Amino acid sequence: MSSEILISPHDGATTPVRRPASDAGNRVPRSAYIHVPFCAHRCGYCDFTLVARRDDLVTPYLDALEQDLQTLADPQPVDTLFFGGGTPTHLDPAALRRLIELACGWFPLHDAAEFSVEANPFGLDEEKIAVLADGGVNRVSLGVQSFDLEMLRFLERDHTGDDALHVVDRVRRRIENVSLDLIFGVPGQTRELWQQTLDQAIALAPAHISTYGLTFEKGTTFWSRRLKGTIAPVPDDLERAMYGDAMDRLTAAGFVQYELSNFARPGRECRHNQTYWRQDPYFGHGPGAARYLRGKRSMNHRSVTTWIRRIQAGESPIAEIDELSPEDRAREAIYLGLRQADGVSRRELFERTGFHLDDLAAAAIREHVGAGLLSDDGESLRLTREGRFLADTVSGDFL
Amino acid sequence: MHPRLIRNFSIIAHIDHGKSTLADQLLLKTGAITERQFRDQILDDLDVERERGITVKARTVAIHHEYKGETYELNLIDTPGHVDFAYEVSRSLAACEGALLLVDAFQGVQAQTVANAYSAVNANLTIIPVVNKIDLPVTRIDEVLHEIETVLGLDPDEALRVSAKKGINIDQVLDAIVERIPHPAGQPDDPLRALVFDSKYDTYRGVVTYLRIKEGTVRKGQKIRFMKAGLVHDVLDVGQFRPEPTPCEELGPGQVGYIITGVKELGKVHIGDTVSDPNNPPAEPLPGYKKPQQMVFCGMYPIEATDFEKLREELQKLSLNDSSFSFTPETSDALGFGFRCGFLGLLHMEIIQQRLEKEQNIDLLQTAPNVTYELLLRGDKTMLLDNPQNVPDAGSIEEFREPIAKVNFIVTSDHIGAIMKLCEDRRGVYKTTEFLSPQRAQIVYELPLAEIIYDMHDKLKSVTRGYGTMDYEIIGFREADLVKLDILVKGVRVDALAMIVHRSVAERRGRAICKKLKEEISKHQFEIPLQAAIGGRVIARETISALRKNVTAKCYGGDITRKRKLLQKQKEGKKRLKQFGEVEIPQKAFLSVLEAGNDE
Repeated sequence: MSSEILISPHDGATTPVRRPASDAGNRVPRSAYIHVPFCAHRCGYCDFTLVARRDDLVTPYLDALEQDLQTLADPQPVDTLFFGGGTPTHLDPAALRRLIELACGWFPLHDAAEFSVEANPFGLDEEKIAVLADGGVNRVSLGVQSFDLEMLRFLERDHTGDDALHVVDRVRRRIENVSLDLIFGVPGQTRELWQQTLDQAIALAPAHISTYGLTFEKGTTFWSRRLKGTIAPVPDDLERAMYGDAMDRLTAAGFVQYELSNFARPGRECRHNQTYWRQDPYFGHGPGAARYLRGKRSMNHRSVTTWIRRIQAGESPIAEIDELSPEDRAREAIYLGLRQADGVSRRELFERTGFHLDDLAAAAIREHVGAGLLSDDGESLRLTREGRFLADTVSGDFL
Repeated sequence: MHPRLIRNFSIIAHIDHGKSTLADQLLLKTGAITERQFRDQILDDLDVERERGITVKARTVAIHHEYKGETYELNLIDTPGHVDFAYEVSRSLAACEGALLLVDAFQGVQAQTVANAYSAVNANLTIIPVVNKIDLPVTRIDEVLHEIETVLGLDPDEALRVSAKKGINIDQVLDAIVERIPHPAGQPDDPLRALVFDSKYDTYRGVVTYLRIKEGTVRKGQKIRFMKAGLVHDVLDVGQFRPEPTPCEELGPGQVGYIITGVKELGKVHIGDTVSDPNNPPAEPLPGYKKPQQMVFCGMYPIEATDFEKLREELQKLSLNDSSFSFTPETSDALGFGFRCGFLGLLHMEIIQQRLEKEQNIDLLQTAPNVTYELLLRGDKTMLLDNPQNVPDAGSIEEFREPIAKVNFIVTSDHIGAIMKLCEDRRGVYKTTEFLSPQRAQIVYELPLAEIIYDMHDKLKSVTRGYGTMDYEIIGFREADLVKLDILVKGVRVDALAMIVHRSVAERRGRAICKKLKEEISKHQFEIPLQAAIGGRVIARETISALRKNVTAKCYGGDITRKRKLLQKQKEGKKRLKQFGEVEIPQKAFLSVLEAGNDE
């Protein structure tokens, strides 16, 4: 992509002016997401789109998905394909196989494409792993969360620390690229316990680690327990220290923090998720799934049964459309850019959106650079280490 | 219509004792409204009033009742039910010869019943006691009658027993109005004297003046003079409310109705003025009313500075229909340009604020209300102070005086102790206790108005489990050891948080406010000290620690939209914050000064 600097005919000075941007949303999508809304049970902190103990809906779901994919008309080759959940691997081997065939039929994978599947340690046996590997899955994101039994019980996970350790080995025998999800800031979790969890994860030498601070989402049992006062979030300072530990230990172990909560061995970044953060277009199918096509993001209905019913009735499964003005899209690009280690490039922002970073946010830049939360080398704006602790505060000011 | 066939009356009651329902029943029984209209409280035509189930402005309606072969015209002059509007009550009563005193068959005589009954007695009205809600499953009718006798000195045998809701014994009420309330005096041919008891602005017709004819007759087409204003106008229209405005040819002695004179500005029609005939002038105008005193003030500031002019326009419009409300421009270092607004009481304030926010869609930042103080300054000068920011230098004040109210509580005997404790804690001076019955007592205290306007009513309800009632009247100013309490946020004095407090409670109040502010102001990227100070002396202190972590991990796919919207909403919320130095203070914090009193 070349930067177009227009020369003003009057003074000859190089003056960048706003011009129609090569809209990111108009490019051909190279990614697809499929939401698989099934779990053995719902954990107390989870507000994702899913149904537990409704395996009777698996076949109607797959039928509906098949019908919905037909609206694509033609197969759409992609560079990344991602199955998220729920727990995609909760499906039995036959259903899992059908899902993969369906998805790969409509979204044929390019050479060197990334095909990720989210999985939980519990029930991820040799047979399912074989289905994944044989189907072309080359990246597995494991919802380990912790290795400590007490933490796992609190989080209402159905596996043990040992399950997690074993399953990593088991998966890697077929699929080498494994990512681990870890949760910190769990009520009752000490800083030592979290450090130990990090060290255990590092010792497994996965390609990728994601760390999440526990959040209390509306509608979850944790949320109501918090309202009732039976559980309390860990103190700010502890959560901060834990996030600091993640950054310190994982970086020291050779991981690169390429996004606020994502750490990868060089070259092992999750390319699918980078699609989102770079505002690139993507397909999305399944209940609650989002897509970003032609500059418009839209979300499917979050109720699994409603989603099925709508598709069966030949109606659109879309519940919400988020259409941004060019300026708001540029602001979102800044917000997303700041989440990434590379930050926001002035040149790239202008090329993609037609807006100058400094026209949009001079005051916010001045304030946060002044406070040491942002660094600015004249071309790119990045969160400093201190800025990462306060990322919402900082990036929110650009919206 | 001959005065012999006219009766003018009000209904007075404690709130929720069924006044509006009885009024509607009277309208229904006399055919003024239909069964369907009856379902709504049609006398309250302001939305805010209907929402709160109270009457703010006086309303009036003429109905016809057949009695022993003759048609009588009964004019019901509705009265507001809340203590804030006592002034409007007295206005309405002055236009009547009698009043229905409505008492709930279970709740019995309450504080406002007493206050309103005394007003009616002072206005020389004939009072008809009416016990309402006799259809309730549990009533105490005999005790209530006893209370009516002991507290109000009325004959319990004269009391009517009705259910306004079910329409029981409404005919008895109508007959009693005709039988017991004296007809108005005055002759049709006397020189015209009519009392202006209210007015209203109508977009199309200009000012509608509400009249009660005392003597003489007013006719369409004649000239009239507003005696106090000295202005002469043509009467373009004459009418009565039935309940819709209904034109008629003339209004004779005793009748109640309206005239339209082409006056366009509400300010030109004075409530309490006398309307006369310039060609046949009376010797004297009627005795008028004294202007109500605004006792509660607060600052109102637009959140968006650009809304200032809009706010001014809307305040002007509101004051057209509410002469008891005032506003003057003021500036605050903290809040910018706004208005200092005066109200009759706290409810009055809330109603005005609601109208501005809801009906006019102006986001307001409102400072904590305060009462009016009277200061005696060196050199024997006195000044009235309605804004704590303007307290002069302590050295120049000889005497700091605060308004005192005589407060009348009615509670059950087992709550007497709790009420006394409540009053003692608030610098009350005990006056009397009087037993209405072995179970219920009336307690009178003198209390600083500042101590009651904030939360006295809520406190009373909580310590009496909802059964206690209160009413008050201002009896004057009294010297007190008062000081100005300043609040400093990160070293910056926030003028809009300043308040006047009694020295004995300053420290406790200061601590409570700092604690409350700590809850209301969200963490910043730095530490924020909060201090309460008298003069240069800090008497309380809290610290808001610095924000250490604010980052949400997950941001995937569709979550981007959700997350972005969440952050945008937070940013939107920030608009209701005001920046002080480096600190953002939310609107709620300005009222927390009030709530801080609750924690004591």
